[in-house]
Amino acid sequence: MSAEPELTHLPRLPTSRGIVPTPRTDTGRAATAEVRAGRAATAEVRAGRAAAAVARISDRGARIVAVTIALVWHLAIGLPAVLGYRTELAVPQVVIGGWLLVAAVGAFAGVRLLRDTALPALPMAGLLLAVDVAVFAAVGRPQLFSPANWVWGTLAWFFLVVLWGRPVRWLLALLAAHAGIALTAVALYGATGAADLARAGMALYGTSSLPVAVFTGALALAVSSRDRAASAAAANAMLAEREAAERARSERHDRLALVSGAATDVLTELAQGRADPADPEVQRRCVRAATRLRRLIAESDDVPHPLLHELRAAADLAERNGLPIDLVTIGTPPPLPVQIRRGLADPLTATLADARDWARLTIVAGPDEVVISLVTPDRTGPEVVGPPAEGRDGQVEHLDERDGKIRWTQTRWHR
Amino acid sequence: MDADALASMRPARPIGVAIVDDHPVVIDGVRAWLATEPRLTVLATGDDPDTVLRAAPHADVVLLDLRLHGRVVLDKLAELSAAGRRVVVYSEHSDPPTILAALDAGAVAFLAKHEGREHCVATVLEAASDRPYVAPALAGAMVGDSRPDRPMLSDKEREALLLWFQSMSKASVARRMRISEHTVKQYVDRARIKYSRAGRPAATKAALLARAIEDGLIRPEEIGIYRSHASADWPTP
Repeated sequence: MSAEPELTHLPRLPTSRGIVPTPRTDTGRAATAEVRAGRAATAEVRAGRAAAAVARISDRGARIVAVTIALVWHLAIGLPAVLGYRTELAVPQVVIGGWLLVAAVGAFAGVRLLRDTALPALPMAGLLLAVDVAVFAAVGRPQLFSPANWVWGTLAWFFLVVLWGRPVRWLLALLAAHAGIALTAVALYGATGAADLARAGMALYGTSSLPVAVFTGALALAVSSRDRAASAAAANAMLAEREAAERARSERHDRLALVSGAATDVLTELAQGRADPADPEVQRRCVRAATRLRRLIAESDDVPHPLLHELRAAADLAERNGLPIDLVTIGTPPPLPVQIRRGLADPLTATLADARDWARLTIVAGPDEVVISLVTPDRTGPEVVGPPAEGRDGQVEHLDERDGKIRWTQTRWHR
Repeated sequence: MDADALASMRPARPIGVAIVDDHPVVIDGVRAWLATEPRLTVLATGDDPDTVLRAAPHADVVLLDLRLHGRVVLDKLAELSAAGRRVVVYSEHSDPPTILAALDAGAVAFLAKHEGREHCVATVLEAASDRPYVAPALAGAMVGDSRPDRPMLSDKEREALLLWFQSMSKASVARRMRISEHTVKQYVDRARIKYSRAGRPAATKAALLARAIEDGLIRPEEIGIYRSHASADWPTP
């Protein structure tokens, strides 16, 4: 009567409905695999959350840099030029007004970005492009390429700020629109000489390439830090899972050693004739050893559900006090809040503490229902037989009944 | 019709039983249990189903240990059931997937080895007349069945199975459900009969179902499409 599952060779049977009868080891493994997959999914969610947090923190540094560059450039380079050339501009009010508007947009976007609140990217991008057109129109032909036409150099950095965290193609589209506006203005002002076109090209390239580099760089950093954090979190979760499984395994191993020891002792004594099979105490020892072995064989979960863990612990305790106890588990309980777990387990562990002679503890669990039952001999005799005591503790029903022969305690939870 | 009535109908020939197990001590134990019932006689025993059945070709019931020489013999079980052998499987592996796989393969009944003393004789007697016998471990497996293609059980059938599995006392189940013990047995047996349509077809399943309809335990429409138990082929689901 060996119980080693690796010796099992299970032929697959062809069936009329294409259903393969599911032998023990396969389904047992499938069930544990399901549980494992469930646990892996929660671990994945946890890992995902941790990764997002790490990515957010590392991205924050890049945002500070982007906002600082945009505002410093605007104040330190744009403002002195605008003020210095103010008298030589075609419509200085528009150029200065545009500068103030962009400064306001930058400040607003910067604050929101650093507080991690969402930005209305499209309206802000539209506003920046409108300022772009207005400034090109108001700057006048003489100042077209002078530092007073601040939109050349500064605007790209503000594009960067308002589009932070969006796909790169949005930034490229906005820069293309900016280049289109600039080249149209250059053409309309008639600055189509080779030198002017070269200056325009250089200005556009020079002022766009750096923001694009910063933008894509920050994006790549955020993605890679998220990946790294996710894999680190997943590895930690796996490690914790493995440790728990390892602990459960070694615990089981220790119990097996203990149980086999007890069984070997009594069998040896029987074989050598030192123990008498007719002796009730010897029979009790045999029953205890057999039930313990049966329970160990029945345990198929890697990391026990907390509810099963509690009930097994209670069963082990009762057993150590000399009570032969059968513990049969069918199905896997869903994750349950502590309160429901207590409601399910406590009445049974309490009854188990008074049990004598034998006990049968069963757990039948599905995704929507868990029913636990404890049957022990009723020692009170038929005189106290009455209607079953019913109780309800939140979502858990509790029934306690004695009929002179058995005492039957049952708790039941359903969703 | 119970087993007593059956025996009075066939007083001349006791029910022949063949025992297949690779542990002689288990064979002796099972033989001792069966010896308490005069209507039963053990015809042959051994560790190989083919040899045992050659020795006892007319055995009414085969008691089969599901694991022979380290191998789970579900294929042999299916072969015997398809050939109309009433096989009662008994095993130390009483986990639900094993039990359900045995039912699917055509076992007439399933006994966990630790249930043998109490339920073996009754199981064999019922099996001999193609009637179901549901010992607690089997009831537990049916209650916990979560396969998508499992038979649909009524609330009462499910509750009767659950309570029988938990308490192992039909009297207690009857009191809890406020019905008679007879009705408890009917609910449990009806649930079992519904399983005769699960898994691969087998002559034994057809016989169980036919007898259940004959006994009025279940109506053909309660278990889905059913043409006629007299027809040679089994209705395809």
